[in-house]
Amino acid sequence: MTQTLDVGEGFSQLDSSPAKDAPASTTQAGAKLGTFAITFGIAFALLYTVYERLNWPLFTYHPVLSVVDFGRQPAGVGPPMFWYGWIALAAISALVVAGVATIVPARWLRQATVFCCALAALWPVALAGLRIFIVGWATFDADFLNSAWVAAIPGFIGAAVITYYFPARLADRLWTSWLLIVPIVGLVVLGSSLLQPWFLR
Amino acid sequence: MNIIFSIIREDTFWKILLFIHFLLAVGLLAAVTLQAVAVLMPARQVAGGFIDRSPVPAASYAALVAIVYVFQALMGAWIYIKYRTYVRIPMEQLRHFWTVGSFELKEHVVTMGMGLLPAYWYFWRQPLSAEHDNVRRWVTVFLALSVWYAFIVGHVANDFRGVGS
Repeated sequence: MTQTLDVGEGFSQLDSSPAKDAPASTTQAGAKLGTFAITFGIAFALLYTVYERLNWPLFTYHPVLSVVDFGRQPAGVGPPMFWYGWIALAAISALVVAGVATIVPARWLRQATVFCCALAALWPVALAGLRIFIVGWATFDADFLNSAWVAAIPGFIGAAVITYYFPARLADRLWTSWLLIVPIVGLVVLGSSLLQPWFLR
Repeated sequence: MNIIFSIIREDTFWKILLFIHFLLAVGLLAAVTLQAVAVLMPARQVAGGFIDRSPVPAASYAALVAIVYVFQALMGAWIYIKYRTYVRIPMEQLRHFWTVGSFELKEHVVTMGMGLLPAYWYFWRQPLSAEHDNVRRWVTVFLALSVWYAFIVGHVANDFRGVGS
């Protein structure tokens, strides 16, 4: 038992000594760097998944012609390539989000992360729900409801409610875990979109 | 590009590029696998209050892994142009749908890994923070798995139409 305690104390001394010795500005810069890197990782994975699903590339590359067009362009001569455009747009957006994250209070950032992740899950669910309602349940011409912007309303409300009731301590504890949860869920979403065109063909 | 193609044949150029991509992939695979094994195997504690060192000094090559990963992704993105026109179209025509689908997923897997690189590099900065032990471990494992997946799928695509096929 004594041995374990000694080792534990040794670790805590090792961990705390650089922080004690380092000037406050260095520690603060390190914390900001961490906030930037972690937020970038979460935002990039989330936004890349969204941009790929909505097919919003920053630019389209036409490999046969070696031509780059702004935004999404249809196939001309040969196949269009959107992958570079999704990455570029996701990287730029995530850089902005990560930059903003370094200037907002930590508690807000944790809550905002919960809100964004909940919104990313609820928005498509709301859209799918609306489409099911239009086809199977509506007794009036409900085509105007078949819109991503209409689905945004229940999505935003649901995400706001979840964020409000989400315990702050859990949001704090979960924050770095989003770094793995978001890419894995993103890959599940992106992978499932490949099932029909390629794997179940 | 035209200057290069006046010296060597176009398909030879792409094959050289693909071979360099393969060699770097082997290096990256080795580095990130060793690192993943090191983080999954906890350091042994021996009598006398000393902590035995991990078999691999994992932190020392985190920067190398990050740099090679980015370089490989850029190189893969370059070769992807040739893949899209010269490999994928006949792949679809010959109904190799699983190979095409796996390669599509590879793009996403590698991209997700790239997004994690700044955090990965941050978690491996010295002195290692005990607070981030768990997330450091799993981010490293995620990167290792992404490199393995990319390597295997890339190899299958190469066997369809690439170096030595």
